Amino acid sequence: MTKKYSIFLSALFCLFIGGIFLASLLLPKKEFSPLENRYLQKAPALSLESLDSGKFMEEGEKYVSDHIVGRDFWVAAKAWSERLSGKRENNGVYFAARDTLINRVEDPDRASLEKSMGYLDALVSNVSVPVYFGLIPSAAQIWSDRLPAGAPTADEASIIRDLYFATGANTVDLAGALSSHSGEDIYYRTDHHWTSLGAFYGANALLEAMGMPPLNLDDYTRTTVTDQFYGTIFSSSGVRWVQPDSIHTYVSSEGVKVTSYFTGEPEEGALYADSFLEKKDKYSYFLGGNQSLCVIETEHTDAPSVLVVRDSYSDSLAPWLTQRFSQIHLFDLRYNLTSIRDYVARHNIDSVVVLYSFPNFSRAENLFALGR
Amino acid sequence: MVFSTPVFLFYFLALTLLLYYLVPRKLRNPVLLLSSLFFYYWGERIYVIIMLLSTAIDYTHGLLVERYKKRGSDRGAKLAVASSIIFNLALLLFFKYWDFLAASLQAMGLTFMPVLNIHLPIGISFYTFQTMSYTIDVYRGDARAQRSILNFGTFVTLFPQLIAGPIIKYKDLGDQIDSRTCSSEKFASGVQLFMVGMAKKVLIANNVGMLWESCKAVDPSQLTVAGAWLGTLAFSFQIYFDFSGYSDMASGLGRMLGFEFLPNFNYPYISRSITEFWRRWHISLSTWFREYLYIPLGGNRCSRSRWMFNLFVVWAATGIWHGASWNYLLWGLYFFALLMAEKFALLKLLGRAPALVRHLYTLFFVAVSWVIFAIEDFSHLGAYLKVMFGLGGVPLTDGAMGYYLTSYLPILAAAALASTPLGVSIYGRLGRRAQQTVCALLVLAGLFLCTAYLVDGTYNPFLYFRF
Repeated sequence: MTKKYSIFLSALFCLFIGGIFLASLLLPKKEFSPLENRYLQKAPALSLESLDSGKFMEEGEKYVSDHIVGRDFWVAAKAWSERLSGKRENNGVYFAARDTLINRVEDPDRASLEKSMGYLDALVSNVSVPVYFGLIPSAAQIWSDRLPAGAPTADEASIIRDLYFATGANTVDLAGALSSHSGEDIYYRTDHHWTSLGAFYGANALLEAMGMPPLNLDDYTRTTVTDQFYGTIFSSSGVRWVQPDSIHTYVSSEGVKVTSYFTGEPEEGALYADSFLEKKDKYSYFLGGNQSLCVIETEHTDAPSVLVVRDSYSDSLAPWLTQRFSQIHLFDLRYNLTSIRDYVARHNIDSVVVLYSFPNFSRAENLFALGR
Repeated sequence: MVFSTPVFLFYFLALTLLLYYLVPRKLRNPVLLLSSLFFYYWGERIYVIIMLLSTAIDYTHGLLVERYKKRGSDRGAKLAVASSIIFNLALLLFFKYWDFLAASLQAMGLTFMPVLNIHLPIGISFYTFQTMSYTIDVYRGDARAQRSILNFGTFVTLFPQLIAGPIIKYKDLGDQIDSRTCSSEKFASGVQLFMVGMAKKVLIANNVGMLWESCKAVDPSQLTVAGAWLGTLAFSFQIYFDFSGYSDMASGLGRMLGFEFLPNFNYPYISRSITEFWRRWHISLSTWFREYLYIPLGGNRCSRSRWMFNLFVVWAATGIWHGASWNYLLWGLYFFALLMAEKFALLKLLGRAPALVRHLYTLFFVAVSWVIFAIEDFSHLGAYLKVMFGLGGVPLTDGAMGYYLTSYLPILAAAALASTPLGVSIYGRLGRRAQQTVCALLVLAGLFLCTAYLVDGTYNPFLYFRF
């Protein structure tokens, strides 16, 4: 190596690490990462205590990596590199056909599933109204034809069958309903939720299980509220080469009164929260995001009322439910541990639906509260 | 702190290099000592005290040994050496093996040793060996005792080799600690070596490591024969690229700071016998055991049975050094058995076999050894080996196997090529201009890609915020 060249190479290295160091240190810091949907680490406070507990180091490392210059760029570069090296997944997300990203679903822990089913059966025997149980399979199941050949993912359909077989609740055949429309846009391509169309088929599966007349899609007109939706899988995958999704609605919010409990106190909510269309987290357009309880009252006052133990899939299902129920109570077990039995009695609820997407159900917390 | 993190590369290293080259020459060791202590403290906190204690004690012992020797008291010098060895081994035994011994004894119904849930201070296996060899070298006259505790501390704590080796003997580094030259040529070759190491670790080892993890996570009854072998192949590459990558990074960092470490790996997977493999794999460990255990035991200059015993001890020690678990002991003894077989018969047979057979023979037994190394739980290990050899009652292959094989084929092929000296030999045949261009491009690409993978490793979207 010549002297000149060795100086060049040394400088190249030092400029790279020094440049990233200085740029990361000096550039203004972001507080919130919309892409990751979380607040970034704040600068750690130096104290004897934080040093001794290791908190300073832990937060320091997070701070450094959270605020490294070009963070989103590096994440995207890694996804590209994986793709170019022949991989068909990145960060647990499959690069599926038809411009679709699909989360891999890990095999759930059977023992904890059985425990959850025990809580469900406790609910069934606890309340005097019928209880319906629905598990919504993920896109990995319904759109398995889009996955790379042989891509490992949990066999959701057969696990759901086993769970349905064992429970005392009335079951809702969502897997069947969605499978028979697997050629349609029933899931988002960049997000883990079902679309309004998927929710429509889900709603009819539920109505069928309840013995109620189904809805007819032809009675509704489709409205596109945004065509720039990049969902959660887009974020986690690091994949930046897919087209954005569109969010459609079918049901009008007219005549619907929504009471949301974002903070525990009732406040006026909305079936569709327009403000979220300007943000990254556009799925929250449906009902406006996390809330411990949401009560939707419709004009069909003589129709039955329903309590849904929900995850976020229910948010886009709710508009469809307004067509057949007088009241819809969405109950989030993560933030609401009040007794379902008491709630049902107090509000004259006619039926209870426990509705989860399969991946959420297999790792849901607080299901014990079902039987309270 | 490990090398393959943003905080090391962009903060610690950047600042340390800056400081190191800014201060006057005579302050470089103190800068190194302080930054190394910080480096260790960052991850291990209070346990840095053990390292300081070890430094102080061996520093004193080294001086004692030398003083006794000067006085002509071999007995005193020997006592001092013994005391140093006992101290270092006691440290190692306590922190690394106490819980293992206690749990093993309890499994046999003996409960006099309680399980203490001791934290294993990172790097303790490396630095106790280094400090132990120091007093021995002083006694043997291979090195002079270090007068300056600052310099001795710099040797013990030197951050490039602190937590994953290579095991550097004082006699090889002592002179460089006292005085060394830094030059742009040395720095640049350090950059090259560091980038090679980082690419090995971040781009290859971590990558194929995920393949191994997914094979290991599957219950053996759900595995396939081909899948088990694919997993074994993946782990074989993972451990080589991880470990030799780390050694390369260490040597590269050493060169940036003006040090020259001895090579630790020499393309082990091109070996044509297990004997040769161990001359090429983790060289600093095998030479350490050779110099400080095998030869003192009598080496091979003794009766045949004693010689076998010596080898047995060395391989049992080599095995258990890798971790406090029975599978590592088994792993060491597996190599003892193979080396014995080679010494008594196989090497002669192999000598007549075609090269391909010898390579396949070596790779086969090494690959199987990695399964023993990688799976601590014996029932899982047994089931996995059964699957590999078609005794698991599982299918030969399945769809997932096809998915993994096609996904990882390019990276596995790259790993296979990088396990041979082919790349280096092609590079060596290029003209100077071409070399310079290729080298600069590779360093840049390495920096770029490694940064992307390191940052992605910390990427942590909070998606279930709303389920």
